[in-house]
Amino acid sequence: MSEIKKIKNLKEFSTSADRFEGANLLCPGCAHSIIVREVLNATNDDLVISASTGCLEVCTAVYPYTSWDASWIHIGFENSSTAVAGAEAMYKALKRKGRLMQPERTPKFVAFGGDGATYDIGFQWLSGCFERGHDMMYVTLDNEVYANTGGQRSSATPIGSSTTTTPAGRVSYGEKKNKKDMLAIMAAHGSPYVAQVAPNKWKDMIKKIQTGFQTEGPVFINAMSACTTEWKFAPEDTIDISDLATDSLVFPLYEIIDGKEWNITYRPKNIIPVRDYLGAQGRFKHLFKKENEYLIEEWQKRIDSNWEYLQRREESRV
Amino acid sequence: MAENNGWDQFDAGAILFSFNDKVDNIATTHAEDRPYSKSNSYTASVGDWRVAKPIFNKDFCIDCQFCWIYCPDISILSRDKKMVGVDYDHCKGCGICVEVCPTNPKSLLMFNELADEETELAAWPEKESKEK
Amino acid sequence: MADKMDLLEVEVWDGNMAASQAFRQVQIDVVAAYPITPSTPVVENYAGFLADGYVDGEYVMVESEHAAMSGCVGASAAGGRVATATSSQGFALMTEVLYQASGMRLPIVLEVVNRALAAPLNVNGDHSDMYLGRDSGWIQLDTFSPQEAYDLTLMAFKIGEDHNVRLPVMVHQDGFICSHTAQGVKTIDDDVAYNFVGEFQPFNAMLDFEKPASYGVQTEEDWHFEHKARQHNDLMTKVFPQIQSVFDGFEKLTGRKYRIVEEYDMEDADVAIVAMGTSVESVRIIANELREKGVKAGVVGIRVLRPFPLTELAKVFSGVKAIATLDRSSPNGTVGMLFNEISGVLINTNDNPIMNNYIYGLGGRDLTMDHIRSIYDDLIVNAEAGALQQPLQQFIGLRGPKLSFY
Repeated sequence: MSEIKKIKNLKEFSTSADRFEGANLLCPGCAHSIIVREVLNATNDDLVISASTGCLEVCTAVYPYTSWDASWIHIGFENSSTAVAGAEAMYKALKRKGRLMQPERTPKFVAFGGDGATYDIGFQWLSGCFERGHDMMYVTLDNEVYANTGGQRSSATPIGSSTTTTPAGRVSYGEKKNKKDMLAIMAAHGSPYVAQVAPNKWKDMIKKIQTGFQTEGPVFINAMSACTTEWKFAPEDTIDISDLATDSLVFPLYEIIDGKEWNITYRPKNIIPVRDYLGAQGRFKHLFKKENEYLIEEWQKRIDSNWEYLQRREESRV
Repeated sequence: MAENNGWDQFDAGAILFSFNDKVDNIATTHAEDRPYSKSNSYTASVGDWRVAKPIFNKDFCIDCQFCWIYCPDISILSRDKKMVGVDYDHCKGCGICVEVCPTNPKSLLMFNELADEETELAAWPEKESKEK
Repeated sequence: MADKMDLLEVEVWDGNMAASQAFRQVQIDVVAAYPITPSTPVVENYAGFLADGYVDGEYVMVESEHAAMSGCVGASAAGGRVATATSSQGFALMTEVLYQASGMRLPIVLEVVNRALAAPLNVNGDHSDMYLGRDSGWIQLDTFSPQEAYDLTLMAFKIGEDHNVRLPVMVHQDGFICSHTAQGVKTIDDDVAYNFVGEFQPFNAMLDFEKPASYGVQTEEDWHFEHKARQHNDLMTKVFPQIQSVFDGFEKLTGRKYRIVEEYDMEDADVAIVAMGTSVESVRIIANELREKGVKAGVVGIRVLRPFPLTELAKVFSGVKAIATLDRSSPNGTVGMLFNEISGVLINTNDNPIMNNYIYGLGGRDLTMDHIRSIYDDLIVNAEAGALQQPLQQFIGLRGPKLSFY
């Protein structure tokens, strides 16, 4: 296994040479970009990257331009996981047969997909890759909607969110179903390492990405991606909203090792009320109407109960 | 520029190459030393997206690198752990760098796209007192 | 290192085993596959070879056919020899990825064991899956027997991987009638077969870290047309020369001659049947019978469906008085595919044959010798009358009242 890139502090990290380029078509303030930069900068190893159809792919590879400084492939919506799994299988085959072009190099295989690609349409493909145990990392860019097509709901959309297919209206408060727990699902596949990360907590994220790269087998990372366009906040507030998400525990940061050991990796000094998180985003503003306020209380109860559950899992070590 | 090329004038399969030449180790070679191909978006500009731009004042900067890491567009240039400046070809004017800058006064502030850098640097706001 | 297998000069193989052996001999780097009747034995045989040490590539047992082709695309773009096999529903499921594979110019080989498409569900052989993939941008070859399945599958790699071609190749064989019917197949020695195809030569491989490449970019209204035109151009201009070259090389190696248009007794034919799959051999038997009776009967087997040998076929059909096109797939609302394609061949020529269309063999329904005789009878009547004497389209071998249209 190759050496881990040393990243003691942010100053050291800043000497990284990004392998993701600007002048792409992502919205100003897009968190996808911040996440991708942190993931790619976490290693100096060669990379084979894939992306599902979605904001990331559509904005970084439109002929005649590519924003990727590593080999990259997009096939379709469902199959960024399988694309990279196929490349990983070819790497193993050529290694065994002695036909690698640069045999001394040890590449990392990384697949990116939005929550739509990962939780919904690509679920089977992801499950298959993890069941087969390919040596790869899958990073979900979770902005809780099908952002690229204008903000339709996905199974990652949380309750009360107003999306274009679950809009808040006279007789509806928006999305009615709770968010699917992908981390538990992927942990149950026997993945050696799954983790939730957020780009504002860069140190936590880098540590987990590096752990993921050092882990043999399929690694699942769910990265919170605050979407200025679909969550409806000003582009300069991306990191602030991310802070609200992690500090209100709506997006708790934790890891699951070998499907059994749960570790909470970030404990906010001051836990912020969920209300503050919801209030900062246009997609939840209808919840602040008098008839919907009970939903905010339910939100707080749900986050509290989830946090309790996480702490119990962490204690029990099973 | 690859614009207006005919069907017979590009690599088949719509494949794009990031560089013109081999690079020994891309991950340890900074942008200015890379042989970018014309297909690499690095060679393009989205500067015209902006209506406001960040101006960097190195007098107050502590080189914390928050702006470097949180810039979605790799437009905050940092070399040898020191802030160098803003890449105006790639900056979309999102304003995250200003938001995350911890100094007081901030070392990065947003100005009208047409503002003159020297003028603004000379008229930089004073340190803000904490009000609550 | 993979072990070599000592083959007899003639082995008794069904079409599936023939394809599996070809896969084994070319030493594929990655097979990503999923089982579906009647192509399952290809997947199983290959697994058996792997377990016994005859294959040292990677074998990825994916969770669906779409994933099979997706994995193949990822592996092929990474840079190596890739193949898989499927049928019917699985083929339909991976259709999306077929277009993606050809658009990205990846030389994957797909063994398609032709089977009917549901609904109603049917596991037997017909060409409805083949017809579904016609426009996918793949090179498409058809085989009529296990011997041909073996030979064409070997050749498919050499055709698609050529750096001037770089297109994926389908090799079709009839489900059950070919895939599960054993025949004496003349074999090629492992080393000879491998050397004929040659070692895989990478091109724009993703695993070449000195030259990072982006595969599968988006092209909008300012670029898409040019890219598709280029793909079409390469299919139209680069493939036939390579196919001919590979056919010539194969003939030198084995004595077995394959042709882009498999014409049989067509030089002076008055009446001819055009067909695909195992039916071609059946039709040849009846054509022989008719020749003995003094009827100038000929047969055209479609060997290469895509790219379509339009100009070659025009030459072959020149002078023929009556032609029957046999389609083993329901066109669901119009005349059969072969009728349309052959009409296209002849429309701007001086030839004006009488042409009609027969839909047959759906879901594995047998095409009997008597059926074929009756088709030739129709053609003879038409040729003599100088005009179409039956409906334009007939269903043959169907229970119930006679079904015909136009």
